[in-house]
Amino acid sequence: MQHQSTFERVLRGVLIALVLVFFMFPIVWILLMSFQTNEQILRIPPSLLFEPTLENYRALITGRLETHAGTLDIRFMQNLWNSLILSVFSVALALVLGVPAAYAFARFRFRLGEDIAFTLLSFRFAPPLLVLLPLTLYFQDLGLSDTYVGLVWVYQLICLPLILWIVRGYFEDMSPDIEHAYRTAGHGWLTTFRRISIPLTAPGIAAAGLLAFIFAWNNFIFALVLASADKQPVTVGALAFVTASGIQYGQIAAAIVLSITPTLALALYAQRYLVEGLSLGAVKG
Amino acid sequence: MHEREKNRVQAYLDGKLSRRELLRDMSALGASAALTSTLIGLGSTRAFAAGFDAMQHKGTALKLLLNKHPYTDALLANLEAFKAMSGMEVTYDIFPEDVYFDKVTAALSSRSSEYDVFMTGAYMTWTYGPAGWITDLNEWIQDPDKTHPDYNWEDMLPGLRASTAWNGIPGGALGSADAKQWCIPWGYELNNVSYNGPMFEKAGVSPPGNMEELLETCAKLATDLEGVYPIGVRGSRSWATIHPGFLSGYSNFGERDLQVNEDGTLSAAMNTDGSKAFHRDWVKMIQDYGPKNWSTYTWYQVGTDLGAGASAMIFDADILGYFMNGGGNKEAGKISFAPFAANPAAEAPTPNVWVWSLSMSSFSQHQDAAWHFLQWATGVEHGLFGAQTMDFVNPVRQAVWDDDTFRARIDESYPGYLHQHDVSAPGAQIYFTAQPLFFDLTTEWAATLQKMVANEVPVDEGLDMLAESVNSQLADAGLR
Repeated sequence: MQHQSTFERVLRGVLIALVLVFFMFPIVWILLMSFQTNEQILRIPPSLLFEPTLENYRALITGRLETHAGTLDIRFMQNLWNSLILSVFSVALALVLGVPAAYAFARFRFRLGEDIAFTLLSFRFAPPLLVLLPLTLYFQDLGLSDTYVGLVWVYQLICLPLILWIVRGYFEDMSPDIEHAYRTAGHGWLTTFRRISIPLTAPGIAAAGLLAFIFAWNNFIFALVLASADKQPVTVGALAFVTASGIQYGQIAAAIVLSITPTLALALYAQRYLVEGLSLGAVKG
Repeated sequence: MHEREKNRVQAYLDGKLSRRELLRDMSALGASAALTSTLIGLGSTRAFAAGFDAMQHKGTALKLLLNKHPYTDALLANLEAFKAMSGMEVTYDIFPEDVYFDKVTAALSSRSSEYDVFMTGAYMTWTYGPAGWITDLNEWIQDPDKTHPDYNWEDMLPGLRASTAWNGIPGGALGSADAKQWCIPWGYELNNVSYNGPMFEKAGVSPPGNMEELLETCAKLATDLEGVYPIGVRGSRSWATIHPGFLSGYSNFGERDLQVNEDGTLSAAMNTDGSKAFHRDWVKMIQDYGPKNWSTYTWYQVGTDLGAGASAMIFDADILGYFMNGGGNKEAGKISFAPFAANPAAEAPTPNVWVWSLSMSSFSQHQDAAWHFLQWATGVEHGLFGAQTMDFVNPVRQAVWDDDTFRARIDESYPGYLHQHDVSAPGAQIYFTAQPLFFDLTTEWAATLQKMVANEVPVDEGLDMLAESVNSQLADAGLR
């Protein structure tokens, strides 16, 4: 291990601190805002000293915001719940469909294989509104408008290409010799897939799943167009605090904190897999 | 049950009690604010039901598409009264303003029958109407079998009736004899000066009455007030920068956005000498006395600065000042209002207006029932309910403006509000030329203003370039 001088250690510490401050400042500032009233937030100049309040969180969680103008109903927790349902089920479905498909594209050569794979990827290129307006018509005919099933289906436009293309890379990087060895021992390809391929690429699948989850969580246009107000995700719900009569900055900040918590928790929990997964295959032996 | 409360509410509706007395009495009787609102709504809705088969659409279910707005809050507070009176089921979807019109456009362009009635602005109907997405409401207004005898369409402020009616011909005059009534005015805003009274007092200035006085007042405020900039106006690269104070002042000099030629074609009119002179003053005002990051300013920043005491006045929607005078704003209770005629030679202000309106979807399966609802929602009774007890301002009906209870409420807490409105209302209307490129051309106008304020282009040259570009776009669209 290389020896570092005191100067180098201090310099490194200072630089890391600077980078941390730069990247963390907006998040910390939002966190602080979430414990302030609108009046405290809009003070000129802004101050770091304030009497913290939990009113913003209380209003979001209970669904009732007491203002000088009266009581406002808030559906933020419903929005949060919707985001959770849509993201979890969309990623789950995309994993069920995408991982075997990725394996097939990686291991087998078949007619029009690359064209099909590229077509699936092209879902990511299309501007959402271009796809959504015709889809709205079909959804109305099929009775899928304003349903979770319909939305989870449409969310595959986000999740499926991501998972398919990322996981395909991991399968391609994995040596087929390991699978051949297992199959030589008398196992079928399905067992090999389940017992060998998936465990070996699990970090990559987890990373792809996490990325797909974040993309699904951040989307708002699909539900906005295809569903009613009661099925909107947090990305739409958080905008409800911006009204003609004023912006509820405190509630927006609290809503942001609550809405990034699930993805942040998931990312922290899966950090090891994420790093391992994203670097898997980066160095070929 | 609630008999004593009902009697107090009826006395209030009859004008025998003030709002303050009603609230005090209701509180003494143990009634909540919500119950008070509901009782007032029921009382006023009874008047609507009298002499009319209010139950003719009993059992019909309607769905509304609404924007998150104080007008919507007033509607929801009174909706139970309508449901009880009509026997109809009314559900609704409320979307934040930021994405609201995306939702409306998606629903209408996909010919969805999900929504029967929706909120819209008059400008938007210039797209929705010709596309066949919304219904010409004249058909219902003129039908005595479908319209309540006391609906009193003529009671709607004439400028607003005209502003929401267009014949669909590019350049066609709003409110012309052959115009289609694409929506019904619901609540509106005109543009005047809202100012911080104590700040003006400290600087020893009066609210300005015209552009010249405005610049002088700003100069004094800039000198005498520390840490406060004199005037807030919008500046983002959007049509919304042009339509409030800017176009109101511009129109007061008799300037137009487009010229309608004799052959019906359109051509740019924003590079006349008068227009250039107005633009020079406007640009100077922003450069010398506006907010530092003006080019990012929308409704929200302009209002927030006034409410937080960062600006001394705004030349924007009167209701923006109204909202900032309440709520949890630091300067609540300190905002006053004044009429503003930019042109010293003008007799009165000519504010351009934004009209929140209600439209009926062409794809609605229950259009007669939807009209029944529209009548109630835009009627005098609901207007009075919202104006007296909630923030349903500005009312669109003269009857509401004449109501003593409403006037007393506004006069008590919003100094100068009634005066600025009364003086301006006769000239309050949409001053844009109705045509399909409205949003594109006004957005480019805002972008040109930004360049002028940033000194990237001189005013005269900038306007000539803008006019050239506008003419080219009109020609491409077959309008020139």
